[in-house]
Amino acid sequence: MAVEVTRRRFTADEYQQMGRAGILREGDRVELNDGEIVTMTPIGPRHGAIVDRLSRAFFTNAGDAAIVRTQGAVRLNAFTEPQPDVVLLRRRDDFYESAHPGPDDILLVVEVAESSIRYDSTVKAALYARLGVVEYWLVDLNTDAITRYLEPVDGIYRRVTVVPPHEPFAPTLLPECVVTTRDVLG
Amino acid sequence: MAVEVTRRRFTADEYQQMGRAGILREDDRVELIDGEVLAMSPIGPPHIGSVNRLNHLFARLVGDAAIVQVQLPVRLDAYSEPQPDLALLRPRADFYGTAAAGPDDVLLAIEVAQSSLAYDRKVKAALYARRGIAEYWIVDLNGGEVIRHADPVDGRYRRVAAVPNDHEFAPSLLPGCVVTTRDILG
Repeated sequence: MAVEVTRRRFTADEYQQMGRAGILREGDRVELNDGEIVTMTPIGPRHGAIVDRLSRAFFTNAGDAAIVRTQGAVRLNAFTEPQPDVVLLRRRDDFYESAHPGPDDILLVVEVAESSIRYDSTVKAALYARLGVVEYWLVDLNTDAITRYLEPVDGIYRRVTVVPPHEPFAPTLLPECVVTTRDVLG
Repeated sequence: MAVEVTRRRFTADEYQQMGRAGILREDDRVELIDGEVLAMSPIGPPHIGSVNRLNHLFARLVGDAAIVQVQLPVRLDAYSEPQPDLALLRPRADFYGTAAAGPDDVLLAIEVAQSSLAYDRKVKAALYARRGIAEYWIVDLNGGEVIRHADPVDGRYRRVAAVPNDHEFAPSLLPGCVVTTRDILG
């Protein structure tokens, strides 16, 4: 039986306040998706290695052209403040010290998923598309597939492709930052 | 499509902290059910009238045998702090001014239901039964009936039935408080 319930949505400001008040603590791996505070799954060793491998490849290939942020916050709108595994951000001298990056600052979001793969490929993808994340890569640890989501229009990514193994690819907005699946998966 | 997401559950203590930090404010009509902060639907006149009627009715009937509490918190466990529309509580000299009533203090809980009937019948009933609330009534405004839940055993109320019209009944823990559905529904 469908049961009607309305969760109190939290704004990103309230979410930040919870951090300051000690209600959410450093060890709480959470993010704010569309007003809901969700717990992120713990990071296993393979997940950690992939994040580090990819960020190393980005540091090497992007150089000063972008800022590489790993598992840090971006604020996509008043109700959404996720912590994607890797984000490529437009260069800014203050490194976003004054405010978290917003959708216009984001060149690429990368998520690595195992148990959360359905959520990341449906709910998260829809959320990122709706909030204007221009490119989204999803690394599926269950299948070793890397899926690229591109061209968000009206809340849907119009181009969704799986990267062929060993073929070089790059974020659309940072074409010099070329990586291969090996750079990610090892 | 069921997609796995784990919401961050909040304890009643964290929920109270949100209040103190100003994240939840006086006009936020919320309650904490099983770790989730839920927005209560705005109250319209039929609901207002029903609560006023119940308050008037029981205030006259209970005398000093119980405290009549209207739409205020009851702390059921570490993760749940609902605000039943009306609760009859064991008498206490401080009128629960130092700590909210716990499940053993609740002689009768009443919810008035309009749009929330399914939730009150399923989720709220299960919660109240699990915590051993002796008796729970739902005033179904749309259906024009009072549904009595009694005998909580193993997380379920064993006796659940709509009270026949003009039948006299009383909460099992307050047998002197005799009412009819007409007294409640008007």
